[in-house]
Amino acid sequence: MFNYLLNRLVVNIPTLFAILLAVFLLINIAPGDPVDAFVPPSASLTIEQKEILRHELGLDRPLPVRFVLWVKQVAVGDLGYRYKDGTKVISEIAQRVPPTLMLAFAGLAGGSLLGIVLGIFSARRYNTAIDHGLSLLAYLAISCPAFLVGILGLYVFSLQLGWFPAGGYSTPGRDGWSDIAYHLILPAAALSVQFVAILMRYTRAGLLEVMTQDYIRTATAKGLSSRAVILRHAFPNVLIPLVTVIAANFGALIGGAVFVETVFSWPGMGTLFLDGIESRDYPLIMGIALFMAFAILAVNMLTDIIYSWIDPRITLR
Amino acid sequence: MKQKAVFCKKMLAVALVAMASTAVPVAAQTFVGAFDVGPAGNAQKFNPLTSSAGFSFFNKYFGTLTLYDVSLQKISGDLAESWSYTKDSKSLTIKLRKGVKWHDGRPFTARDVKFTLDLIMNPELATVFAPRLAEVAEIKVPDDLTLVLLLKSADVTLPDAFTNIMILPEHLLAKIPAKDLRNSDWWKNPVGTGPFKWTKYLPDQYVELEANKDFYRGAPKLAKMINRYFKDGSSAAIALQAGEIHHTYLTLDQLKDNQSNKNVDVVSGPSHVLNYIGFNNSDPRFKDLRVRQAILLALDRQSIVKNIFAGTAELANCVLTLPKFVPADLNKYETNAAKAKSLLAEAGWEKLSGGEPVELLTYYSDQGSKDVMATVQSMLAAVGVKVNPRFVDPPTYAQIAESGKFSMVFAGQANGPDPSVLNSVLDSNYAPPRGLNRMRVSIPEVDKLIEAGKGESDDGKRSAIYQQLCRVTNAQLPWVPLWVANRFGGNSKNAVGVIWTPAPGGGRYQDYPETWSLR
Repeated sequence: MFNYLLNRLVVNIPTLFAILLAVFLLINIAPGDPVDAFVPPSASLTIEQKEILRHELGLDRPLPVRFVLWVKQVAVGDLGYRYKDGTKVISEIAQRVPPTLMLAFAGLAGGSLLGIVLGIFSARRYNTAIDHGLSLLAYLAISCPAFLVGILGLYVFSLQLGWFPAGGYSTPGRDGWSDIAYHLILPAAALSVQFVAILMRYTRAGLLEVMTQDYIRTATAKGLSSRAVILRHAFPNVLIPLVTVIAANFGALIGGAVFVETVFSWPGMGTLFLDGIESRDYPLIMGIALFMAFAILAVNMLTDIIYSWIDPRITLR
Repeated sequence: MKQKAVFCKKMLAVALVAMASTAVPVAAQTFVGAFDVGPAGNAQKFNPLTSSAGFSFFNKYFGTLTLYDVSLQKISGDLAESWSYTKDSKSLTIKLRKGVKWHDGRPFTARDVKFTLDLIMNPELATVFAPRLAEVAEIKVPDDLTLVLLLKSADVTLPDAFTNIMILPEHLLAKIPAKDLRNSDWWKNPVGTGPFKWTKYLPDQYVELEANKDFYRGAPKLAKMINRYFKDGSSAAIALQAGEIHHTYLTLDQLKDNQSNKNVDVVSGPSHVLNYIGFNNSDPRFKDLRVRQAILLALDRQSIVKNIFAGTAELANCVLTLPKFVPADLNKYETNAAKAKSLLAEAGWEKLSGGEPVELLTYYSDQGSKDVMATVQSMLAAVGVKVNPRFVDPPTYAQIAESGKFSMVFAGQANGPDPSVLNSVLDSNYAPPRGLNRMRVSIPEVDKLIEAGKGESDDGKRSAIYQQLCRVTNAQLPWVPLWVANRFGGNSKNAVGVIWTPAPGGGRYQDYPETWSLR
């Protein structure tokens, strides 16, 4: 196990480096100057002011120098300061991590659980009207983009019915977990719609394939109830693709669910990233890219370990 | 099994009720507004000197020397009690209001004003207000409540500039060097002279202000004021309709929903932003006046206003749109596609353009603007001018416009409340990188009128100068003026005394926040 982890770590470092180099090159090649992002198109700074700003931000140095300087900074744990208002990048990111994880976890866990349950339900009633109905709903759910579901949810449940608050992380003036949880319900639900559909389809397909195997017939013949057969024998063999899907999505969600965060004014990593890109805030963009790359590589490693637990046939080397 | 299901359902219901009851509405006298939604907002940027928008919210905790009235026509004093120019308009004496205190209790004096103005003129701060103070040679402080500004040449536009400049405390900021001030943490815990004072800031959530009991016009009725952050304007509109917030900016398509909502009052007003099609005036294709006239004549602006803006825009025929600067004898350029075609033929457009399409660049991304671009493209195609629309984001647009590598643009330009905002935009001496004349306008008569308007203190004569500027730009068409659209805001019916009007960059007018209250 330890050797495996060490190996993966060693392999991941060049990957991380390549990702960061690519992001750095792309954002610098993209049109638009960070200094121009300070003012809207109807206003402008004089060339003198712009030169002062560029020098202060270190933008007058050549690209390779800037990249090397950034890497050296990062190696000692300093992610730099935002161009926009000088706040430390690492504190901006750290502040967004709890809400992002809350949303990712709630949305993914809720969606996956429901999706798996519905998938099992669907597989057991294969080819019945209920099965077809659920499949239709799944296609609908996958086709609806997250922001559509979000706005519809906001309109129906917040505006029309008044059951939930209209976005935000907490009610101004109140602290407390129950208030935050109350605000989390709608965005998590909007996010989970897609996962319900995806997980349901994967579970159903996996189960249907496994159910034709001989050992299932043996288990039924032994006299086990159909529920025991599914839960103890069939389902564990479907777990591997499900874990893959869940892990992959979790990795992506750590970077923030931009659409849901925007619609619900949820202060997550996605809106921070978007803000950074719009204002060409290079330190922030690089910092978040680093964080996301790290997170995804870590999740991938974790997933491999989970595989080895689920399936004893898999050994980590 | 069934009992388990019933039990689960009961627990779920209890949990939901428990959570719902904790999210009871906030304390009665807390006003929650989405002040930074919309084009006049400046979300989560807190340095008022390096901002060019967001002044609606800055006004709540900072003060300015002067402010317009809500119709944006008359300037009166706020921190300044009175001011007067000498006859040649080269010296301005300002008398400040007595008894004003900073939120930390220290007295407000003329030294704070001098400090703020000096800071703006310091190139290390890199502020867009520096050109407005370009004529200031020296600032004298004869006593704690008086300032004398000595100017290099006559400039009557300073009271207008002051409506935008938040005065900062010298005793707290003097020790911070200008370039560190730009991004200082101080802005997230500022001290001002406004009716509300800063309590806390939660990034991506809200800024909270509380009443300043020592405010010079009397303690505010509200206990707290909150500026809630919304990344998406439609979420803010929904929150307004749901009664969760008391104010936000509304777009045209959100208007109908809110007008029919019984909790919301809709306010509308002119945006003071002229939408225009700009030419790269140093491009040989557009040098012939007939080409520019033809492009304007080819556009059926009435139809665009009726169909895309639902009538909520006024046609404009020159660079100015405030009624007192628009003379009656302007060419209205009623749409005439046939005339456009013949003008283009006379000017030899086929040869000039070489049969290649022209790029029409814009930084607007809303649906209305996309519709406008598509309509303009088809109207111009009908007279033989092929146009390719191109949408880019604001920093990219700024870079392209500055570099001069563009053909035509569809953009907006603030032209009020005072026409001097156009000085740097139309003056041939201020082409980039020196200034804002990105369209590379070069009309000698325009330069002369701009100079004259800066120094003319007589109101009647000044209006006449700008009316002439309007006539010249109407005849010469350095830009094709299109229209001025209305902008809209929504206020909760529970909010009493709220004053709001659209203004470029927001704020700059007296809205008496200390008198606002909630039912």
